[in-house]
Amino acid sequence: MTLSAASALTVAVYLLVADGLAALVLGGLLAPASALVVGVAVVGSWWQASLRRRLAEVPRLGAALVTLAALAVTLEVLVIAPAMLEAFVHLLVFLLLIKLYTRRTLRELRDIAFLAFFMLVAVAPATTSVVFLGILIVFLVGGTWLLLLRHLMIEADSAAAPPLRVGRDLIGLSLAASAATIAITAVLFVIIPRVGQAALPLRSQASRMVSGFSDRVELGAFGEIEADAAVVMRVHLKDWQGAGGGRPETLPNLRWRGMALDAFDGRAWTVSRRTLRLTLRRQLPVPFAVHQYYGGPVLTQEIYLEPIGSDMVFAAPRVLRLHGRSDFVILDDLGNIAVPAPSARLNYTVESEPEPVDPRRANVADARVPPDPRWLARYTQLPDLAPRIADLAREITAGSEDHYEAATRLSMWLGRNLRYTRALQRTTDLPPLEEFLFVQRAGNCEYFAAALAVMARSRGIPARVVNGFQRGEWNPYGDYFMVRLRDAHSWVEVFVRGAGWITLDPSPRVGVETPVAAARSALWLDSLRLSWYRYVVTWSLHDQLSAAESVRRTTSSWTALAQRPWDAAALPRVALALLVGTAAVVALVRWRRGVSADGGPVMPRFYARALRALARRGLTPADGETAREFAGRATAVAGTPLVRLTGVYERVRFGSMALSAAEAAEVEAWVTALEKART
Amino acid sequence: MATPVPRPTRDGWWFLGAMICVIAAATNTGNNLLYLLSALLLGLFLVSGVLSERSRRGLRLCAVLPEEIYAGRAFTVGARLENVKRRRVSRSLAVETAEQRFYVARLAPGEARLLTWETTLPRRGRHRLTGARVTTRFPFGLVVKRSGLLLDDDVLVFPAVRPIGDAWRRRLAAGGPRPVRRRGRGHDLYNLRDYRPGDDRRMIHWRSSAKTGALVVRELEAETALDTRLVLVGDGARDPARFEAALSEAASLAAHLTRADAAVELIGPGLHVPAGRGRAHLRRLLSALALYEPAAAAAARSAPRPGVSDLEIALA
Repeated sequence: MTLSAASALTVAVYLLVADGLAALVLGGLLAPASALVVGVAVVGSWWQASLRRRLAEVPRLGAALVTLAALAVTLEVLVIAPAMLEAFVHLLVFLLLIKLYTRRTLRELRDIAFLAFFMLVAVAPATTSVVFLGILIVFLVGGTWLLLLRHLMIEADSAAAPPLRVGRDLIGLSLAASAATIAITAVLFVIIPRVGQAALPLRSQASRMVSGFSDRVELGAFGEIEADAAVVMRVHLKDWQGAGGGRPETLPNLRWRGMALDAFDGRAWTVSRRTLRLTLRRQLPVPFAVHQYYGGPVLTQEIYLEPIGSDMVFAAPRVLRLHGRSDFVILDDLGNIAVPAPSARLNYTVESEPEPVDPRRANVADARVPPDPRWLARYTQLPDLAPRIADLAREITAGSEDHYEAATRLSMWLGRNLRYTRALQRTTDLPPLEEFLFVQRAGNCEYFAAALAVMARSRGIPARVVNGFQRGEWNPYGDYFMVRLRDAHSWVEVFVRGAGWITLDPSPRVGVETPVAAARSALWLDSLRLSWYRYVVTWSLHDQLSAAESVRRTTSSWTALAQRPWDAAALPRVALALLVGTAAVVALVRWRRGVSADGGPVMPRFYARALRALARRGLTPADGETAREFAGRATAVAGTPLVRLTGVYERVRFGSMALSAAEAAEVEAWVTALEKART
Repeated sequence: MATPVPRPTRDGWWFLGAMICVIAAATNTGNNLLYLLSALLLGLFLVSGVLSERSRRGLRLCAVLPEEIYAGRAFTVGARLENVKRRRVSRSLAVETAEQRFYVARLAPGEARLLTWETTLPRRGRHRLTGARVTTRFPFGLVVKRSGLLLDDDVLVFPAVRPIGDAWRRRLAAGGPRPVRRRGRGHDLYNLRDYRPGDDRRMIHWRSSAKTGALVVRELEAETALDTRLVLVGDGARDPARFEAALSEAASLAAHLTRADAAVELIGPGLHVPAGRGRAHLRRLLSALALYEPAAAAAARSAPRPGVSDLEIALA
């Protein structure tokens, strides 16, 4: 099946244009409505030849349009466009439309392809989406096709050759070239020297504003986002030091702490005061511990956070160090970490010291209540509360030996006696917490956390509410936690002597919500997204050095292997190396055979096949016997096709004649007949 | 021969310009997606190089030239382009000469294509053909790759051979043709022999054929003009144009006499081609005239032999 090259070329051009426009939409540089209008204009240009003839009859129309456009672009750049990038994009779109409507020659298609390519360039600083990879691949396939066809058509035109037809071989060649380009691009991308940290988008994506992660949180604020399944954070557990084994993803109580709040006015939690500690750029990682190190195992997490409209960075509790790329970070004495630069929040690494599994056994000398009475007052602060709340707390904690047991009893009581619901209702004028505890007896995690913190404080236990995310779903394809917006959660930290701040989660949410496991394909796609983020978007000089070191180590291990190849443990690797080496040599020999050694005529493949078929039947040419003599001798067995085949062979090999399609088919039939014949 | 360095086309310069811009932007901003685009352009350029190399390799270019080339007379030059690769197709090849460009869209493995064009070499002597070179812009038209294959054979151009003038014709006629005891195309019977396929049927001797019952044909004696010695006189130093014209006259006479089956000897200052007949001898004469350079020495002329007439041609 063949296709007209002109049609194929036109399709390729429009594919590139559509791809460029899709990139602009992806990067938020072209609104969907504008994209629709531009798309209609682009589709209209398909019939530009007839339109151009009509417009050519209008005198000075071209000059007027160009002048008008130049004025519009100037106005756009100087006044309308919010940023230079937008103005540049609008100019690109304008030029693209002009080119689409005025194109006359094949050479002008180059300009259209360049304009579409620069749309991708414009989008590059504005997105981190993995969809960009798809757009890039489509562009590569379409661009390769366009360049190939355009070249062949220009050559055929200049040689006045008959119109080019596109067959399967050309399509295959183009696809193979695209595949090879992708492979080379991947290698080049990894090795092109970087100068430091990767820069992340200049413009943050339209981020969703997530309530619950600011310094004032009203009760019930999470209600609207709890059902949202969008992935907002991916946590790769890089290292787990000092734990003496075990997989970090199985750690109990693993969650991603965001914002701790210490002051409660009966309706909302706030941060009572901020003790700022700034750290300047170039000094990252943060040169002091965010949380005091108690000597336990350290978990290193690499976190990829989607833009969610909050300055907070999330990490496992008890953050010790933060590695990032921000100009500065803001820390406070609640352990909250804020990074004002949006791009810096997209990827960071945190070292945390997870809480001990049994806080009672911990005996850290530094984990004591500070002697300053203001500290205790701050974490036991309460608004005016109904006395029955304190009475209830007293009743539940009666007989407790210490703060930890008392807080645990409160947490368990709340989890067992109250019901988790996302459908919040108010039916009385009582304060929210009192209504939750005594009337509704149902609420979401914020109500549970607030109730526990308030009841603990009423018993003199230092407590604070923490907003963050639950651990999320483990993705085995990429070895990371996939945290969704619906994992947003509230819990409580209580201060336990000897163990420090310990997490307690009174909410019975886990028992109520049926965890919905993502489909395998969804997990795989998400791991692809993380790989894209990890190995492309944030690839840096540091990664290059690590990769180089890894290669060096591997090389050393192979060198060591070569010195003791008969070591039993090394045998599989030696066998693999031999196999790969043999395959490489065979491939090389086959490749070298592609050109005859002396540059002379090579034996056509069909004749070689025929000889093999005859050899299977015991007929082989004798030394010094010509092909014709052999054919005469073998005819009795092989039949007349061999004589005719020999004639064609001589013509092709020594007369350098090419076979027509009909002849090739005939030869194929003869050879097949020889191959199928037995005896 | 060393392969010439590939040269970007105009499209190639555009491509390289865009690549440099994107690399500069990537380095400047540290944005990895810009690095990715840079790597993509670089990768595409490399793939273009590999594909064009695969297309360019494994080709053989041979000249197909006429046996005789005369000054000022157009002749056909042929270039036989062959793909000697076993499997790979060569695409989008061009054979470029000084005057023309031939495009070969596809050359299958083992396939050969004969490309011909006309050219004229105005002067006698040894010349190098202006050459034909295989080039390709395949696959994307970004780079022109020239093959090391060149068609730059040396050719010998004989002096221009024209019909001889009436004056020479009269001088030759004065000697008159005479039969010689050789097979030829004269009028007298030389021999009778059995008919062989391919013989001219007009030469069948019907009477003898009737007698013997098998076809018999006549063979005639050759007729020849007087065997001739062409003597170049003078050194040709004063008038180069006259010198060339004289050599052309000598070549024309030699050709004419050879056609008439005469033995021709050539003598001139620093030049002597002994007498001989036939086409091979004519080539010797024409080669000597093609390469002849004026010399100060006088012709070492021997005494005329009986039955051989001298024709003097003044060089200048």
